[in-house]
Amino acid sequence: MGAAAKHDDGESADAVLLAAAAAGDERAFADLVRRYERRFYAVARRMLGDDGEAEDAVQTALLQIHRHAPAYRPQWSGSTWLYRILTNVCIDLWRKRRRRDGLADAPELRAAGPRDAERIDVDRALAKLPAEARAILLLCYVEELSYREVARVRGVTVNTVKTQLARAKRALRRHLSEVNR
Amino acid sequence: MISREDDSRLRATLDPPAPAPGFAERVLRAVRERRRAGAAALAFDVAASDRGIAGLRPGSGRVEAATRRARALAKRVRAELAEYLEGLRSYFTVPLDLSTTASFQRSVLDVAATIPFGEVRSYRWIAEAIGKPGAVRAVGTALGRNPVPIVVPCHRVLRSDGGLGGYAFGLDLKERLLALEHETPALVGSDATRIICRHGCGDEQRIAVHHRVVFASLSEARASGYRACRRCLEGRSSPSSPFFRNLAKAL
Repeated sequence: MGAAAKHDDGESADAVLLAAAAAGDERAFADLVRRYERRFYAVARRMLGDDGEAEDAVQTALLQIHRHAPAYRPQWSGSTWLYRILTNVCIDLWRKRRRRDGLADAPELRAAGPRDAERIDVDRALAKLPAEARAILLLCYVEELSYREVARVRGVTVNTVKTQLARAKRALRRHLSEVNR
Repeated sequence: MISREDDSRLRATLDPPAPAPGFAERVLRAVRERRRAGAAALAFDVAASDRGIAGLRPGSGRVEAATRRARALAKRVRAELAEYLEGLRSYFTVPLDLSTTASFQRSVLDVAATIPFGEVRSYRWIAEAIGKPGAVRAVGTALGRNPVPIVVPCHRVLRSDGGLGGYAFGLDLKERLLALEHETPALVGSDATRIICRHGCGDEQRIAVHHRVVFASLSEARASGYRACRRCLEGRSSPSSPFFRNLAKAL
């Protein structure tokens, strides 16, 4: 409850912007994009492990958000609705890529400099988690949404969020310690 | 079991790099242009029956549909068309009603419908596929009267000598549709040479299976440090803002 109250101002702003965008207000849509730019990029980048794919995902998600804005109903919180679309796009892209490449950990092909090494370790470890668990983990830890919000975004129960999260964290620690050895 | 301190460390580990400067503007521009290209779908005239889509053509957005189901199908084809033009879709799921077409034309359209997104075939190839290798010209005529262009991709049929052939709605549109599909290629590369090719390039055949990587777009491949093959990709770019702008204009 506390978390919901904390986000109240932002939430109503999102809803207003979404309604305006649905009515064809391009400036409102642009404002919405700028508001969510960093947060969307963060999730997409960590979900997909690659800059170019993250940009594609954000682009596609925004296209869908714009298309479906008229269907947005204020009983949903704005950010919940936006995150749901983004995470669905990311999971979809991820599955398509896996089918296509047969590669679970594509990011390791892209090691650039030693400075990137740690980052790539995280991407590699993340790539080993199931897409749904990864989405939940990122929504909790990168976006800092509450369990309740994450549950609504992914359409699951709070208990599922907690178990997925615990599992994801355990797996992530194991993978990271393997990589660092 | 999991301490708070642990959590903040995890948070710091997961914190991704910031987006490149200009990220929002770039994404916004791309979204705007893709939408403009998709909006052209609203200007297509659609005819539908209970069985499927019977007609589709650039026009003024009229709908010919007698029943509720037909109207729903017309709405669906327009939505799919918009997604296709926005670069969000590479195939159509809406059923077609080709019952009014003659049997020869029907067989031509059925074969044309099997040409995959991003690929092209010749008029001759279709004539041979329907078992009438001498009927190349008739194939061209049948395709020219395609009642459901784009959904049945007659724009993917070219002359054997590489010429564009014809298109009922103008060669300009044909070229742009081909470009739309051409610029969203499935790319194959090698992580040994860091070169990417279009699927089907001679050089692609030499990539060992364990070095094979696949990308959806050239920009994505470039961002990962790959360069384009000189033989099949030189000078080409991935779907860009000017590209979608031109597509919107042509429609």
